[in-house]
Amino acid sequence: MSAIYQSLVTIDPITLICTICNLFIQIFLFKHFLFDKVMAVLDARRKAAEAELTEARNARTDAETMKAEYEQNMADAKAQANAIVAAAQKTATARSEELIGEARSQAAQIKQKAEEDIAQERKKAVNDLKNEIGGIAMDIASKVVEREIREEDHRDLIDEFIRNVGDAS
Amino acid sequence: MDISINGAKILYTFTDVPLFGTIHITQTLVMSWIVLLIVTGLCIWLGHGLQVENVSRRQAVAELLVTKLVEFVRGNMGSEFDKYIPLVGALFATSIVSNLMGLVGMWSPTADLSTELGWALVVFVLITYYKLKSSGLVGYLKGFLDPIFLFAPLNVISEFATPVSMACRHFGNILSGTVISALIYAALAAASYALLGALGANLVVAAMVLLAGILFSVLGRSKKQTFPKILGAVLLVLGVLALLTKLTGGLAGQFPWLDIGIPALASLYFDWFSGCIQAFIFCTLTTIFIKQAAGDP
Repeated sequence: MSAIYQSLVTIDPITLICTICNLFIQIFLFKHFLFDKVMAVLDARRKAAEAELTEARNARTDAETMKAEYEQNMADAKAQANAIVAAAQKTATARSEELIGEARSQAAQIKQKAEEDIAQERKKAVNDLKNEIGGIAMDIASKVVEREIREEDHRDLIDEFIRNVGDAS
Repeated sequence: MDISINGAKILYTFTDVPLFGTIHITQTLVMSWIVLLIVTGLCIWLGHGLQVENVSRRQAVAELLVTKLVEFVRGNMGSEFDKYIPLVGALFATSIVSNLMGLVGMWSPTADLSTELGWALVVFVLITYYKLKSSGLVGYLKGFLDPIFLFAPLNVISEFATPVSMACRHFGNILSGTVISALIYAALAAASYALLGALGANLVVAAMVLLAGILFSVLGRSKKQTFPKILGAVLLVLGVLALLTKLTGGLAGQFPWLDIGIPALASLYFDWFSGCIQAFIFCTLTTIFIKQAAGDP
């Protein structure tokens, strides 16, 4: 059986119709199996990249906010620390001044008391001396007068004498 | 020697089919189904298991192809015609695979005018649809009277010339490739018979050719020159074949030795270059004609 050929340049309606149908089938298959899938992947990738970019931008904003907050906190802490130190210094100064004042007043008290004591001791000593001198003077006078001098009789005399001694001493 | 260049082989004939009468199942039909399967298979292979991250080499190729296709269509038509990207892609893939079918010795569906005419008619329908859409029925009909009514016949012809020229351009290029391939094969076979018939007739001549081949080969190798090397190789092969022909009593001379390898050079242009460029031209024209028909948006 010898092969039958179509003529070289011819238009066969069946082939024409089949070609058109094939083309539409091919379009559908190409779209379904390759084009749509690749486009979906490209789209997904683009979206992912955009999402990542947005995320990065958000993260950066967050970080900047946090940094500002941190700096604010640091500044606050520093100010607080300064305030505490200043307050402490003030308290310390006040306390030391108070202590010094107290010490000073105490010292003054002690000094005053000492002075009073001294004055008292002196007065006492003077009085003792007066009495002793009075006694001595009495003794001497009695020796001189050779008689008993009654103290009550000569009180004025003795006092005058002592006064004179006191003035002289 | 007679060379016959025929259209598609008729593989089977259905007679008395209702509505159609006689239906020929031709090589073109069978091959176009095979092309459909090949392209679809490629699409499935390229398009399965795509991932957003960790892109495989196969996926990279798939993405490159689709991206190039989208760029091509948008470059020619702008982005408002994105729905025609699958059409252009399918046309291009089908055309190029059909054209390259010839390389492996199979019948190209594109070597049949019906195939290209089918595609061109689809494009023609789209063109007409956009012309009607952009200027309305009245505007479209008025366009035939441009610039004066005398031009109406010419305008009608030019309207139909668009799909016809598209189909014929593609078909003609593929057909010419087929024709020239057949001629080259026939011519080389004839040359082969003549050459080996002449050389292989005499043992001395054959031996001398072989000797000359060896001589030139050695010379070319020692002097490191390209031309004597090539000449030596050619003479060497011829000498061997001539001896073979003589020794087998002319039997080896019956084989068309020159048809081995040499037609590949012609096929580089007619199958590869022409096949790819015609697919590209057809798609370019499709996009540009549709864009033109739609006018400025």
